[in-house]
Amino acid sequence: MTKNSHVITYPRFIGRMVLGAFDGTWRFYVWMTALTAIALVGANAWAQQTANGMHVTSMTDHVSWGLYIANFTFGVGLAAGAVMMVIPAYLYDDHEMHDVVLIGELLAIAAISVCIGFVVVDMGRPDRLWHILPGIGRFNWPISMLTWDVLVLNGYLLLNLHIAGYLVYMRFLGKRPDKRWYLPFVFLSIGWAISIHTVTAFLYSGLGGRPFWNSALLAPRFIASAFITGPAFVIVLLQVVRRASSFRVGDGPIRTLTSVLRVTVLLNLFMLGSEVFTAFYTGGTHSTAVHYLFFGSHGRHALVPWIWSAIALNVVSAIVLHSKATRERLELLDFACFAAFAGVWIEKGMGLIIPAFVPSTLHEIVEYSPTLTEWKITAGVWAFGLMVLTLALKTALPVLTGEVSLGGRKEPDADDVPHAA
Amino acid sequence: MSESEEKQPRRVHLKVLGATLGAGAFAYAMAPLRAWTKDISKEQFLQKHYKELNKEELAKVITRLEAETKRDYGRDVTIKDPKPREGVEFGYALNLSVCIGCRKCAEACHVENNHDRKTNNSYIRVIEMEQGSMDMERGTTQYDHPVPAPGKFYMPVQCHQCDNAPCTKVCPVQATWKEPDGIVVVDYNWCIGCRYCEAACPYHARRFNWTKPEIPAEQINPNQGYLSNRIRPQGVVEKCTFCLHRTREGRLPACLEACPTGARVFGNLLDPDSEIRWVLEHKRVFILKEELGTRPRFFYYFDV
Amino acid sequence: MDALVHYGRALEPPLARGVRTDPVEANVRATVPTLFFTCLLPASFAGCGNRDQPQTFAPAPSASTMGTTRIHEPEKLWSVETGKVDALGAPLRAACVTCHTLRTPNALPDKPEDLKEFHQGMLFDHGNNRCASCHVVGAQDVLRLADGRTVPMRDAIVLCGQCHGSQLRDYKAGAHGGMNGYWDLASGDRLRNHCVDCHDPHVPRFAPSNPVLPPRDRLLGPPIPHEGGPAIPRLSPAPSGSGGHP
Repeated sequence: MTKNSHVITYPRFIGRMVLGAFDGTWRFYVWMTALTAIALVGANAWAQQTANGMHVTSMTDHVSWGLYIANFTFGVGLAAGAVMMVIPAYLYDDHEMHDVVLIGELLAIAAISVCIGFVVVDMGRPDRLWHILPGIGRFNWPISMLTWDVLVLNGYLLLNLHIAGYLVYMRFLGKRPDKRWYLPFVFLSIGWAISIHTVTAFLYSGLGGRPFWNSALLAPRFIASAFITGPAFVIVLLQVVRRASSFRVGDGPIRTLTSVLRVTVLLNLFMLGSEVFTAFYTGGTHSTAVHYLFFGSHGRHALVPWIWSAIALNVVSAIVLHSKATRERLELLDFACFAAFAGVWIEKGMGLIIPAFVPSTLHEIVEYSPTLTEWKITAGVWAFGLMVLTLALKTALPVLTGEVSLGGRKEPDADDVPHAA
Repeated sequence: MSESEEKQPRRVHLKVLGATLGAGAFAYAMAPLRAWTKDISKEQFLQKHYKELNKEELAKVITRLEAETKRDYGRDVTIKDPKPREGVEFGYALNLSVCIGCRKCAEACHVENNHDRKTNNSYIRVIEMEQGSMDMERGTTQYDHPVPAPGKFYMPVQCHQCDNAPCTKVCPVQATWKEPDGIVVVDYNWCIGCRYCEAACPYHARRFNWTKPEIPAEQINPNQGYLSNRIRPQGVVEKCTFCLHRTREGRLPACLEACPTGARVFGNLLDPDSEIRWVLEHKRVFILKEELGTRPRFFYYFDV
Repeated sequence: MDALVHYGRALEPPLARGVRTDPVEANVRATVPTLFFTCLLPASFAGCGNRDQPQTFAPAPSASTMGTTRIHEPEKLWSVETGKVDALGAPLRAACVTCHTLRTPNALPDKPEDLKEFHQGMLFDHGNNRCASCHVVGAQDVLRLADGRTVPMRDAIVLCGQCHGSQLRDYKAGAHGGMNGYWDLASGDRLRNHCVDCHDPHVPRFAPSNPVLPPRDRLLGPPIPHEGGPAIPRLSPAPSGSGGHP
């Protein structure tokens, strides 16, 4: 075994990563402590939910999926959209994008962790998770779309872990990465990202008993909104990375992502309009869910403020994104990103999952309003995801800037343009 | 050792302290799980799917379940596992001209199937419909006035045991499947509680155990079946099983026996002399939501 | 291949030390995990892990109908209520023969209001029928059919079926009237309701009764009145009466 054999260097790499995860500025400690506190509150709420039963949530036999699945759906979109950057970097040979693609992949890893977290907290019997493992439990593939989702989400996670891990590890070793070990996976991840969200959409759109979901437009809508949340989050994240680390982020990636956002925001609104027209023009009982969502039905209107604020946020974001002032003022762009992110969160979460259950299949109207327990668990899972993202960036970026490497710590040179993969 | 640690041993101490506090806080946060995991025995955790259990293993599982019921609910019960009978496929018909909406079928189901008492759960929901309309939106399940009311008719809905059931398609762990005699069953010890089947069912037939069922010992029905009316654990999905612990031994389901007007007809679809075949051949029969292609085994008919 | 070379170059770290990985070794190391996954996944799905026990069946229902179908005979076929209760609180009934063997009855009246001494307070609302339509003077344990023949009280079904033929047809086919017991008559007996168990022959129309057990689902809320007009536009006043029969 030579000095540079992977058996020696890989544990050293992991060790340096772990050390880097616990070392930082006071801002880092405050941020991580706050996230840990929120995550612990969520963990405690989940423990109580598991022990006492899910009646602590506001879900019922009528509305049997709620905040958790809403956030899961949104999280899958975020994970898919994070790979938005990979497309121009690799398919269109955008050199500036190469610098920051890794950040998108790390975001995808964090987002998939969030998705898996939400699935686990939504299960009635998390102790029986092993039942779904292929070969050990009973895996109802290919008939159940949920099994497809398990495969593609975990595969996406492994894909991104491999790509990001391999590239960072090679950089740590100071070696040139071997194309065969990552390029095929990168191209695979582009198609795979589309597939994770398509499969998630198929989960819903295949159910004939839920006319609100049973539309061919659901999968395209999901992709369009995924390509809003991914770029929006990454635009803001890149600016945070600029401020908080020595990693150099050019203006090019942000411009590219903004162009993408400009298109997808309009596309999303168009598809929403298409669904609304189809429902309201036809009328009849199958459109009761849409009626309930936008105007209330039979005196029940809990979702009306949610959907209208989502529409307002999406429209405002679209207007701001297309205004000239956004090109000059980054704060306006950030505002548009926050608005788009929040708007899609509402519209895809509460505005998509809940109305399919109202009215129920027997046309009863039971409303849904999340309880405090559900909010706590949701906040906890998102906090956990943010922790994963922070740690991933905290450990990976110093390797890319050259501060952390096998040869020892070195300060980044002024004219040393760091290249990520 | 990195430079920062050499320069600031206090930092290391703070980190260790923080980590210890964090671990302690985590243990405290997860404390409610301790009692819950104590409830789950190793055999329960590792139990195989119903279809994979041979006779001895199933007998052991049943003995364990009977002991657990005695421990948790204070009542001795007998859990049987009646097998489907050859040459039998169940069908159920409901006469909408005769049903008066008294909900005695829902009450009998509640009692027979050991449902949670607090929530008044039942697999049957009776919809009071308006005469002249088959639109369930014009109906209500919460009527509470003397029945039958003028200008209304009554439509009880329960699991239709569909031939092309959306619920069995979507289950990720094959915890629910259609038995050879037509009944769609759930293995309550295999279900992971994801509730995808509940979202997929077009007839609101499935129920989820949002909490551990509470039944006073004297009200428990001790004649139970493994796949049907044994007391279900928290966090799993359940549904009407056409009382298979009764019907597989030739008896009528509880809802039919409770019906005072004789609106319900049950029997073996493969027997040409059965009552259910007579209804299907002589009455104007229809099924709910036929356009969804679920092919149910539950038929509705009117007398005229 | 050009694209790969081109991309690969863009990814080179600027301070690469020139340590190259052995391409053969890299290829070998890439194929092993790929093979592993491509074989494991289909293998576990393709049923080479099929662990199901063979399906067992119970024997088919035998063709014999050793079980009997018995029609219930309610007490009201043979007795009337006296209005009194016994020591345990159960209502006391008097058999018809108690009085009808001791006294000679009068002719059958036109309507129950004409009864002077016994069977007071009896209600009657059964279409255009009269007492003599069904009852026979001097024979309280039989009923008369339309052609004058008599049937014992327990066979009142035949009498009801004279006018209500479709219900009798449905009843005989097992599609009308409650029952207890077994659907599979080879396994057990069945007890069926008599017409009179549910329908009072003197006032057959059901009085509305309160239903049991409205759903008590959490968050269900009170009933919501449906907006919009009735399903069938009503051009004349709505018909009164029970809704059980369309």
